[in-house]
Amino acid sequence: MDAIGFDPLTGFLDRGGCLRAAVRLAEFCRRQDKPFSVLWADLDRFKQVNESFGHLGGDAVIAMVARRLGDAVAGRAEAARMGGDEFVFLVPSCDRRRAEQIAEELLRTITMPVEVGNIRMRPSGSVGVAVLDDAEESLALIERADRAMLEAKRLGGGRYVVSGDEQVPGRVGVLLAREELLIESQIHAALESGGLTLHYQPIINFNGSIESAEALMRCEVQGQSLAPGKIIPVAEKTGLISRLGEWSMLNAAQHARRLRDHGFATKVAVNVSRAQLMAPRFVEALYAALYCGDIEPSLLELELTESLFLDVSETVQTNLKAARQAGVSLAIDDFGTGYSCLANLKDIPASKLKLDRAFISVLPDDRRALAVVRAIAQLGRELGMTIVAEGVETERQFDILAELNVDAVQGFLRARPMDGEALVEWLRRW
Amino acid sequence: MAEAMVMNAAASPTIGKAPAPTGMEAALEQSLLDVGIPPRPLILERVGEEMRKEEPDFRHLGELISADVSLAAGLLKTANSAYFGFRSRARTVTQALVMLGLNVSSRAIAGLALRKVFLAVPAMERFWDASARVARVSGWLVGRLGVRDGVRPDDAYTFGLFRDCGIPILMKKFPQYAAILKEADADPERVFTEVEQVRCPTNHAIVGSLMAQNWWLPGETSDAIRCHHDAVILAAGPLGIAPASVRMVALAQLAEFLVQRIGGQSATHEWEKLGCTCRQLLQLDGDGAEALLPDAESVVLEAIG
Repeated sequence: MDAIGFDPLTGFLDRGGCLRAAVRLAEFCRRQDKPFSVLWADLDRFKQVNESFGHLGGDAVIAMVARRLGDAVAGRAEAARMGGDEFVFLVPSCDRRRAEQIAEELLRTITMPVEVGNIRMRPSGSVGVAVLDDAEESLALIERADRAMLEAKRLGGGRYVVSGDEQVPGRVGVLLAREELLIESQIHAALESGGLTLHYQPIINFNGSIESAEALMRCEVQGQSLAPGKIIPVAEKTGLISRLGEWSMLNAAQHARRLRDHGFATKVAVNVSRAQLMAPRFVEALYAALYCGDIEPSLLELELTESLFLDVSETVQTNLKAARQAGVSLAIDDFGTGYSCLANLKDIPASKLKLDRAFISVLPDDRRALAVVRAIAQLGRELGMTIVAEGVETERQFDILAELNVDAVQGFLRARPMDGEALVEWLRRW
Repeated sequence: MAEAMVMNAAASPTIGKAPAPTGMEAALEQSLLDVGIPPRPLILERVGEEMRKEEPDFRHLGELISADVSLAAGLLKTANSAYFGFRSRARTVTQALVMLGLNVSSRAIAGLALRKVFLAVPAMERFWDASARVARVSGWLVGRLGVRDGVRPDDAYTFGLFRDCGIPILMKKFPQYAAILKEADADPERVFTEVEQVRCPTNHAIVGSLMAQNWWLPGETSDAIRCHHDAVILAAGPLGIAPASVRMVALAQLAEFLVQRIGGQSATHEWEKLGCTCRQLLQLDGDGAEALLPDAESVVLEAIG
């Protein structure tokens, strides 16, 4: 039987063991008045490794890299495997300067060639570094290291980022940090005082039927509206995104039931981000939303936002597969921009592709955009996916999209976002 | 069973003849529909009886309404909805009743009962009973053990009432859920929610936590609901959930122990699994829980049901 608190593959601490050790070490360092650093390391594009070597081969790579990493930090750090290809190193009596040295050592170690069978490869990694602040909880410290690692990945991988450096330095940085704190407190206030609502924008098939309605979160605190563009980054940074996401899933499910009770079996689509899909118990929360909403899973759709595609990790893939098994459909949002790419079509079990408005808004004049839309529509069709054009605002765009055999449109031309009651009325009139 | 439990106003044969609901009544009706848990018929009956009196005893009505998971949740969600535009928010059942007005709330509930909005209800006596008792005793325990970490009697009461609100939702969904609960109750070792998750894809703690968020309860309360069977999180100190959440869980667990010991109801193994942690959190010595039994008796017996 495996020892409790340890990962059987690598012999490192497992997630639970890591959290417990972090508490212990943070307390120890505080008492000794010593610094304490956490480094979060993650292999870049590990999915490709899994694909190249198969899962067993992937495990062999993990075990090999883990052994090297363990040797590299032996006697200096507690090593933990947080799952998949994610490792955490807890380094007592370690200040920022030393932590950065260790980060460089970890990156060097990760890039050492790995051979499985007759294939030789050179992996790369991203590392996030966080040094314990006064009065900070160890969980918050680990989360900061995780976020710094994600930032390293966002910058292209193969590097480390120290938590805190992501912010703009100087006076602007201080103002931004203060604004973020304010937004964080406003999100808390909204979550506890009825400040969140969902508005819905219908998505309409070319045959006139309703494909679905996308739920869009609105946040208002003391009469002041907060733009999603401001809320979401702060929510992702602070971990509040899981709460907002769970709230949205449940409310979207409840609204789908209300629509059904009014005689409209309209699917409601709700946005989910990478942070949500990485959160523990995402699938349990999804089922909870379906049960509380009392709806058939086919009436709920998850729209996967572009942040997801930064790194489609094993955890994310497992959660997406489980969502499909639950009967919930998946749509890839804002396709064609940001981090989304064609490989996602192969890896993500989505049945819908939403073309980003950037391609639509320049139609019909931009011949290149037209060619891209035509190609994606063709590709999507061959993959058996429903193709939706976002941001459709003119009849001319509508006509061209019909010619290109796009399946459905979303945009001001046919319907603006509206509140839940207005949607019922709109559906009645449609 | 699932169909029988749905409180569907639209499906009620009497709706057509009934008077149109008022603004408050309509909002409460929608909130109750969203809550998805049926109110206890006994309580609806008693509210109706009281409201038919020439001079209803509103204090008694308040006690009745506050002891019902469904009505209390419906009122909280209504009071906290942006529609009414209250500047302050209701953290507890009592605050919701104060904000909406006891008189108005009682009339709205009696009106909904009269319109037979609440349809057939399966037997959930044990759930209704246990929730009301645990809530009552949790509130009482704060009086005995003191206000700490910001947890006042009303907070402990509200948590105790809603702690297991995920159970009726899963009962509605899974015909075999009663058997799953029995198995989890009888398991002396495994974490309660883990036993549930072997046979269904979620557990009552997560379901309850989502519902609490949906009623706009404080994050401490929804976190406490989510983790109330998790001994590791409860003992994790700063790594776990907020001290207020941990205290609410410990108070309700102690309350459940007292209720089960005094009421002689089917005992669970939760005190064996969590009691040690809870005693430490509440700073009770070895016999501290038992020592509360004599005084707790009258509180438990007074609790509704």
